[in-house]
Amino acid sequence: MIDKKIANAISDIAGADNVLEKKEDLFAYSYDATTDLRHVPDLVVLPRTSTQISEILKLADTHQIPVTPRGAGTNLSGGSIPIKGGIVLCLTRMNQIIDINKNNLVATVEPGVVLQDFNTELAKQNLFYPPDPQSFLACTIGGTIAENAGGPNALKYGVTKQYIVGMEVVLATGEIVKLGGVTVKNRTGYELMMLFTGSEGTLGIITKVALRLLPKPLYKRTVLAVFDTIVNAGEAVSKILENGVIPAKIEFLDNWFLRRIESLTPMGLPIEANAIVLFETDGNSEVAVNEEAVKIIQICQDTNAIESKIAKDDKEAGSLWDARKAGFAAIFSSSPTIVGEDVTVPRDTIAPFLQKVDMISQKYNTPIRILGHAGDGNIHPAIPTDIRNKEHYAMAIKMMDEMFEAALSFNGVLSGEHGIGLEKQRYLKKAMDPVAIEIMRKIKDILDPNNILNPGKIWENQETSHE
Amino acid sequence: MNKKSNYSEVKKFEDELNACMKCGFCSFWCPVYQAEKTESSVARGKNDLIKSLIAGDLEYSSEYAKKIGKCTLCMRCTENCPARVKTSDIIIAARADSARNHGIAFPNNLIYKYLIPHRKLFGNVVRMASWAQRIFMPKGDGSTRHLPLFLSAIVKGRYIPTIAPRFARQIIPEVNLPAQTGANAPVVGYFTGCMTDFVFPETGKTIIDFLNKNGVKVIVPQEQGCCGAPVFLGAGDFETGRKLADANVKAFADVDIIIADCATCSSTLKEYAKFLADTPERQEQYTAFAGKIMDITQYLVDVLKLPPNAYEVSDEFKGKSITWHDPCHLCRHQGVASQPRDILKSIPDIQYTEMPNANQCCGMAGAFNLYYYELSKTIADRKMEGIDSTEADIVVTGCPGCIYQLRDTVQRHNKSVEVIHIMDLFKNKPVSCE
Repeated sequence: MIDKKIANAISDIAGADNVLEKKEDLFAYSYDATTDLRHVPDLVVLPRTSTQISEILKLADTHQIPVTPRGAGTNLSGGSIPIKGGIVLCLTRMNQIIDINKNNLVATVEPGVVLQDFNTELAKQNLFYPPDPQSFLACTIGGTIAENAGGPNALKYGVTKQYIVGMEVVLATGEIVKLGGVTVKNRTGYELMMLFTGSEGTLGIITKVALRLLPKPLYKRTVLAVFDTIVNAGEAVSKILENGVIPAKIEFLDNWFLRRIESLTPMGLPIEANAIVLFETDGNSEVAVNEEAVKIIQICQDTNAIESKIAKDDKEAGSLWDARKAGFAAIFSSSPTIVGEDVTVPRDTIAPFLQKVDMISQKYNTPIRILGHAGDGNIHPAIPTDIRNKEHYAMAIKMMDEMFEAALSFNGVLSGEHGIGLEKQRYLKKAMDPVAIEIMRKIKDILDPNNILNPGKIWENQETSHE
Repeated sequence: MNKKSNYSEVKKFEDELNACMKCGFCSFWCPVYQAEKTESSVARGKNDLIKSLIAGDLEYSSEYAKKIGKCTLCMRCTENCPARVKTSDIIIAARADSARNHGIAFPNNLIYKYLIPHRKLFGNVVRMASWAQRIFMPKGDGSTRHLPLFLSAIVKGRYIPTIAPRFARQIIPEVNLPAQTGANAPVVGYFTGCMTDFVFPETGKTIIDFLNKNGVKVIVPQEQGCCGAPVFLGAGDFETGRKLADANVKAFADVDIIIADCATCSSTLKEYAKFLADTPERQEQYTAFAGKIMDITQYLVDVLKLPPNAYEVSDEFKGKSITWHDPCHLCRHQGVASQPRDILKSIPDIQYTEMPNANQCCGMAGAFNLYYYELSKTIADRKMEGIDSTEADIVVTGCPGCIYQLRDTVQRHNKSVEVIHIMDLFKNKPVSCE
């Protein structure tokens, strides 16, 4: 519980309209998009300015009250769950696009701007901000930076960290710090902005950010390729990259996803296929974009594709990509609990990794559904289970552990997109150099000496509440 | 957990509740979330609250009821939900459980239970209120709160449409025959919603004249009552809702097609089976009744298939630029969106412009706009941006509720845009309501 005096002081700082104390409101901030994790905070604040945040953090630091920063709560690793109670600092009301500078190709925004709203504004000026986590309709820019999010576009355009040129951060102790600037090149001191990028809210509150923009590509083509096994699909992807073609996106779905998506929203998918791969080529030359598409088809045919074709029009392309977007819903709505992860392996090991996943599935006689961003080796294996069935759930966790082991053995990583949060703490020690973990701890100690910012995240040995 | 609480209504929708995987994408579509930016505004938050209540983690409170009440039932979340969760159904059922377990607060309990089901009495009170309206309007007196709910807004400085000097049912006879009656002349029943009855009787008269002119016989049963939207969808009073439903089913027993000019009414009439059917007989009756209901534009386009020259625009609207607002209860709840556009686009005498956010909720949502007037205004302001961008002279729509809200909105923004029912375009001479 937070002392009434402190709660009143916070209310004075942020304004009573921006503070939520009622139980029903607190409940609504006890979860994020992660399955089965929750903890109710003591207070929710929706600040409007970095000065307010600074004053709130000074108070929290003095009284050692946990503060969990939150955007739209769409993340999938438990990162924005206030696991230690205290204050949820929700940034959704700081949602102004401060400036879009077309000449400098840089935009300055507040952290609560929703990614889709940002891209809608940019599109009016034929501009584009590539990082595209699939929660783009809801997620906030601040959240995508704290999680260093990426999506299908990562293959050609990279992830969030490649687009940050400047930042304003409020530290746990209340100082407001300006980092970077509005230039793409900047070699002044350490890359401190990168500390906060992907920090999962444990090092500071990002209150303003300058982002690099690109001109919106004029042409796009979508290619659909059908394979008899998901492993063959993985092989085709490696071959395409080997041959010097870098599509904007390469995504794949297994047979279960095809059928499930088709049953939820009929769109004429090839439901007999064991695996499909979707490619998107883009650029400003129609000829080049078409040539790339044709080349992709040739390579797919050379690597045992049953069928491959260019989507005949925008409508067909649109429905194929809608199918991919529906993947998340398809899996999460299929079973009471989904143990789903975002392991990432080097691109040339996708095929052997998928073989390994298949072996794990057979060993436990339990299906593992596969979809993912094949282009960057980021795969989302998902195991349908039910947390109420303790035995089955424990087995699903064990299967996931084996998949992590497999990914690490191929020089892969634990998480490509979702972060460590609460969900993947138990694997951190296996996946990171102990010295690197120690460096992280020291950085944390310097920036947040009282451990008030998002306590209980990233590092193990904090109890997590799996309901 | 409160012993006497049971959640039998919302439990019928438990599969829907469990299908919500908390992705949060609904926040992009929710008009309430867009205005408030808080988690309890949005479908995910509301579904979670309801789940917590059923699980016993949360106890019922007035704050809970307020949160469940703060939804316009616009269905935009469902339309765009990756898992297609019908949150509006869940919320309606949750309101019913709340109402049954904990009652509806004074004075609405009296209005819903006694006033709305008694059409004549309701009319008289509305009439009295219209006098009170003139008396209280300048000062805005708190004592008007005991008046029927849609007049209680006076104290909040809202635009209130004038109560018609004579109600629709007083100027429209029970049987309305076309000039030439053939043996096979189509027959329809006309459902007169409360708003059309008390506030916009001219619209009702225009529709009946229009149908008569096109050879349709129109029956307007005097025993019909309120559709029940504020009673069972808004306040969750299913018991009174059933009485209204039974009365309406009976009143229209002799016709096969029932036309409505109010999207909320037509949608509500179709929802009886889903929410109110507590016996197999009612299930059967309500389902058959739902099959008779049609929006006026749907009837004109899909059934009568009228040619463009049937739509003769009244002189005062000729040459005007016109845009269409989709009532949520028409486009999402009933899937009627192309029919009004077909009509508008076929008329050579007007210039039709599509509104960019045509199907976005206007923020009216029945009693919602009274309980949450400030919020309702914020939602409407987004709508106004869309209206402005079309530079239209007239906004036409298919729901008197939306008309009421949009008139308030254009007035607040000091715009000269007119807001009328789509059928008002076709009144060919001044209709006398005296």
